Amino acid sequence: MKNITVLILIAAISFGQTGIEIAKMVDEKPTPKDMSNKIKMVLTNSKGKSRTNVMISKSIGNNKKQITWFMEPKDDRGVAFLKIEHNDKDDEMRMWLPAFKKVRRISSKKKGDSFMGSDMSYEDLSNRELNENEYKRLDDEIVNGVECYVLEIIPKKEVKSSYSKHISWIAKNGLYGVKEESFDKRGILLKKKEYTFNKVQEYYIIERVFVENVQKQHSTEVTFLNVKVDSGIDDGLFHEKNLKRLPRN
Amino acid sequence: MKRYSLLLLLFVTTNAQVYYSGLISPLTMNRLSDNSQISLPFRIAELEVGFSKGDIDFKTSSAVEFRWTGGDPKLDFREVYLIWYPSWGEVKLGKQIHAWGAVDGNNPTDNLNPYDFYYMFLPGADRKIGTLSASMKYYWNDWQLEVVVIPEHEPNRYPFGEDDFPIAMDDPGYFLTAGETMAEYGMRVQTTMGNSDISLSYFSGRDRGFSLIGYNYYIDWAAPVLTYRKTDIIGIDIVTFFGDLTGRTEVGYFNTNNDRTTDIITFNDAAYVQFASQLEYTTTNDITLMIQLIGNDVLEVNGSTYAYDENGNPTELAAMNEDELQQGMGTPFAMFTDLGMFVSATGNYLDNALEIRLNSFMDLKDKQSMLGGGFSYSPVDNLKLELSITKFMGEEGTQFNEMEDFSHLSLGVKYSF
Repeated sequence: MKNITVLILIAAISFGQTGIEIAKMVDEKPTPKDMSNKIKMVLTNSKGKSRTNVMISKSIGNNKKQITWFMEPKDDRGVAFLKIEHNDKDDEMRMWLPAFKKVRRISSKKKGDSFMGSDMSYEDLSNRELNENEYKRLDDEIVNGVECYVLEIIPKKEVKSSYSKHISWIAKNGLYGVKEESFDKRGILLKKKEYTFNKVQEYYIIERVFVENVQKQHSTEVTFLNVKVDSGIDDGLFHEKNLKRLPRN
Repeated sequence: MKRYSLLLLLFVTTNAQVYYSGLISPLTMNRLSDNSQISLPFRIAELEVGFSKGDIDFKTSSAVEFRWTGGDPKLDFREVYLIWYPSWGEVKLGKQIHAWGAVDGNNPTDNLNPYDFYYMFLPGADRKIGTLSASMKYYWNDWQLEVVVIPEHEPNRYPFGEDDFPIAMDDPGYFLTAGETMAEYGMRVQTTMGNSDISLSYFSGRDRGFSLIGYNYYIDWAAPVLTYRKTDIIGIDIVTFFGDLTGRTEVGYFNTNNDRTTDIITFNDAAYVQFASQLEYTTTNDITLMIQLIGNDVLEVNGSTYAYDENGNPTELAAMNEDELQQGMGTPFAMFTDLGMFVSATGNYLDNALEIRLNSFMDLKDKQSMLGGGFSYSPVDNLKLELSITKFMGEEGTQFNEMEDFSHLSLGVKYSF
């Protein structure tokens, strides 16, 4: 009798969790204090032709501060990008342009703009704040053998998102994203995203993202290599003076 | 060069990390009027080599200047300098190129380096000449303080006697004398206020371009004296955001003086302002639109100009008017137009393999304009094909009227390694 009661209780808790509760669990899951990795981004058009960009990136505070150096193709080498998210004002974005010998402050408002011509926008790369969206739990599903919560995420109007909504599949065990579908302002499917996560220490760290823009018939595959977490990256690294200096091996 | 070699040797022997990058970029320019080749030098190859150890970097940037006809290739060490990165900022020492100012392409407050007029139509650091200098940048929260000291003045490089250069420039020869030796120095403070970056700057030095300041008597004639005036500049530049628009503005106030003594003084002092202000917007399909206003205003000029007799000797004296002031510092495009407007559109396609750009300049006071367009296409990684067309148009008596024959088609290849 006791076992049945416990099972009923667990079932009640699992099925009773609302969208916001699940989103909160995801938001509160442990994340590395810092992370560094090499990023390989392959852009493929509808004709199958592809181009590759290679970057080195370091971040702290769950990507609240991020610095990225472009390594390939060679004519982009030396260009670097610094992003600092603020709670009380607009995010800061600065780019180092070696050809101009200037750190150029750029607008952070156009989050819908494509990052380096890829199918990911700056909004896709930014953290999604819990209180900036509304969450609705949909029926659970199994994706590639993984049991998933399914959430409908609707950005609040004041956020000025370039999307009308997302449908996100989140692994129950690990609380990492498995896939996501994002819809444009007209409510039409715009992007399909697939994620692959890898367990590093006690964290689930992203290993691969595949984004398909179904309207443009274009895709981007991003692979994260040489991932290191909690290596003690200094907060002082996230300063514009470090944009000018390529990271050492 | 010896001292740079010693520094380099020190780095190499102490297991510094080495990095390099470069370009091979042949190009050809042909007149639109008759397809004849324009024979001016260009940088056919560029190489950057750097050494990094701990908090110190050693950077070099060199180029091979080449021309298809008339003249041997020339090796130019454009930059050779040490950088130290302490926790509070950066310190640089050596031959280097600096960059001040918030606006793109036209910076009235950026006068630390002279311009190489052969490369006037190139963007950014490509048009500048490196100079021996020391700089220090101190960072503190949202504040930055930069101080630059340049021990020796260096002037612009002018294409004297180049038939193919769009503006005729005769070599002044021994009429041109250097000003009294003096160190130049500058200071710039930048901070962030809300969503804006604001900078104030000050620079004291000698003009990069020479001008007539008087005459000296030699027996029966008066020889003109051309030199580089002493000029102080106070500047302000701002970057700010209005919704989806980015605004960048720069204003420089120039106070220029003649600190030389000549038998006849034709220039005493003057004050003028140069400004550049731009708005940028990126559309939903990633086309970047930019509109920029530039210009100048002469506030005061104290000098004289002469009429000349048949022997070239000065005769009648009259007060110099504002239009006769030659501005020796500031951004070149703002010097020859009281008010002009740049408009440009740039789009990237085919996963950034193709860039298409259109640009135009219109003088809002005189009837002269420039129209340009081009593309660069990268068929494979690290290789670019570039084509551009530039057309100058102007009424009789305007600068662009003189440049109409320079309207050209440019075709180049760039290989990056």
